[in-house]
Amino acid sequence: MSTIGIIANPASGKDIRRLVSHATVIDNNEKVNIVERIILGAQNFGVDKIYIMPDSYMMGYKVQDKLKLSEELNVEIEVLDMKIKASPKDTEKAAQMMEEKKLGCVVVLGGDGTNRLAAKYLKTVPLIGVSTGTNNAYPKMLEGTTVGIAAAVVASKGYDTNLSCRKDKIIEIYKNGEFIDICLMDAVISNEQYIGSKAIWDLDNIKKIIVSNCHPASIGFSAIVGVNKHINERDDYGAVLDLNSSENKFMAPVSAGKVVELSSGDLEIIQINQSISWEANFKGIIAADGEREIVFNIGDKFEFKITRSGPIHVDVRKTMEAAVAEGFFKIK
Amino acid sequence: MKLENEKILNMYENMLTIRKFEEKAQELFAAGDIPGFVHLYLGEEAVATGACANLNEDDYITSTHRGHGHIVSKGGDLKLMMAELYGKKTGYCKGKGGSMHIADATKGILGANGIVGAGHNIAAGAGLSIKYRKTDQVCVCFFGDGSTNQSTFHEALNLASIWKLPVVFVCENNGYGISLSQKFHQAIKDISDRAVSYNIPGVTVDGNDVFAVYEAVGEAVNRARKKQGPTLVECKTYRHRGHFEGDPVNYRSKEELEEWMEKDPIPRMEKYLLENDVVNEDKLKEISDKLDAEIEEAVKFAKESPFPDVEASVEDVYSDIVEEVK
Repeated sequence: MSTIGIIANPASGKDIRRLVSHATVIDNNEKVNIVERIILGAQNFGVDKIYIMPDSYMMGYKVQDKLKLSEELNVEIEVLDMKIKASPKDTEKAAQMMEEKKLGCVVVLGGDGTNRLAAKYLKTVPLIGVSTGTNNAYPKMLEGTTVGIAAAVVASKGYDTNLSCRKDKIIEIYKNGEFIDICLMDAVISNEQYIGSKAIWDLDNIKKIIVSNCHPASIGFSAIVGVNKHINERDDYGAVLDLNSSENKFMAPVSAGKVVELSSGDLEIIQINQSISWEANFKGIIAADGEREIVFNIGDKFEFKITRSGPIHVDVRKTMEAAVAEGFFKIK
Repeated sequence: MKLENEKILNMYENMLTIRKFEEKAQELFAAGDIPGFVHLYLGEEAVATGACANLNEDDYITSTHRGHGHIVSKGGDLKLMMAELYGKKTGYCKGKGGSMHIADATKGILGANGIVGAGHNIAAGAGLSIKYRKTDQVCVCFFGDGSTNQSTFHEALNLASIWKLPVVFVCENNGYGISLSQKFHQAIKDISDRAVSYNIPGVTVDGNDVFAVYEAVGEAVNRARKKQGPTLVECKTYRHRGHFEGDPVNYRSKEELEEWMEKDPIPRMEKYLLENDVVNEDKLKEISDKLDAEIEEAVKFAKESPFPDVEASVEDVYSDIVEEVK
């Protein structure tokens, strides 16, 4: 049986970055529309069942009701049986359940933060990240119909998935010798005082940026490092940039509509399976993929290790090309 | 946004003042000391505190039927508030308004309001006044999720957006309009989604985290002062008590209440203060004792104050400035 999963975060696209930058608002009805298009795309390409994370806006039920009423639904939909916390834990729990069910592919709607939460649990199930958040470097802006088709193609296992899927790099974070968390794209050391509204945007507070990937065409921390050096998904290294230094002056797009002048020290490469160590000499917070998450005190010792133990990332464009080559679109 | 420890501690004291004032009001209402209705702010203290911590004395707020927290946070006098709850002559409205009508124009408190949704347009009016007078004041409009179904909400946001008024609309989304769950009366979950219709920014924050509220409203206030127009800030929160005191609260589950009690803003703040060495346990006890004494003093003041005279019932009904009623 061919199955896919959909995790849509109802909280993405509404955080404080709408006030401190020119970020877009993505309302929940638009997310419902994207989920609908994913289902409609997927059901025509052999998917038998679609699992959806339950959420406080009841997106899964809304889509199901609408498509049943319009008589367009011809695939089984199951909203996962789990208690909603209306918190990031919902994404983690849903990803864990989808991994345990060994689904063929999971589509995650949200920002870098949502994809990071899902990636913690999606070890063997391929992931497609669809951007509905802000300053996103990991998930991409994609059309739901195409995403649904690509997810169905991956889930069919009817072609060599190595052609379009890769194991992602991540940053593993160790605090005082213990593994505590991961980042998909960037870890930022700051002297912020509290977690508060979570998003991190005040560049004056940022001391170091560690990246697994970075590109000047992205936005945010990935772009800050990316305008100094481009590190793609296939490169077996990441990097760290120290913003405490003023040797190197440059401009970077730090958030939606905001391009600022910055200065840094030289960029330092971190090879795969290698780590950099850092001991805190101030109190602060580490932001994981743009969200304040890890509180630290003076004397805490950290290691940031680049590994290739992240999720299996689906390249939608290459998947669609492989689908053409394998005849997925031919009517028999 | 950097905060000095003194500011952080002030916010904590403000939250605890609201908590203690409301717990006392709950106790006095149950004992039959307080007439009329009271709608308690217990559980929502972080919203008013975090929002008003960004305001100056000459900034404005508009409040709601659940307004004690807003009044405290904007500098309201506890004695005058308590006397008003008791219906005494020394109260904010000379004992004739009660819990739902407390106002103090000298502190920019444009009034609690017994009518759901009545504050939106008063706030827009205050914003227009600020713009007309060319000052750098702002007006923060507090309201609940239920009131965003009222036309006043839409009229106010529309005008505030068109005229770029310095108003910050702060929605206290506690999930219920009286006894009706939000899921049964609104086609959306996040009130911030409504901002798009009026071409203004809308954000959602954890309303039980005073820092999150402080940051978001702070940025919105900055926008307003820079003449960039209004903002809608939705704070997700929960009221610990029913809609009013005496409400049997048979419309929500024990489990739901327990989940939200775990997110109670005051223990969260205390945890932060202790873990970050802002204060120690002794200091917390000292603050708590000091506030208990202030509340008792307010109750004593209220109890010892006289009721208004019978003649007062026909006073303050019409404004003297209207010739026809002179």
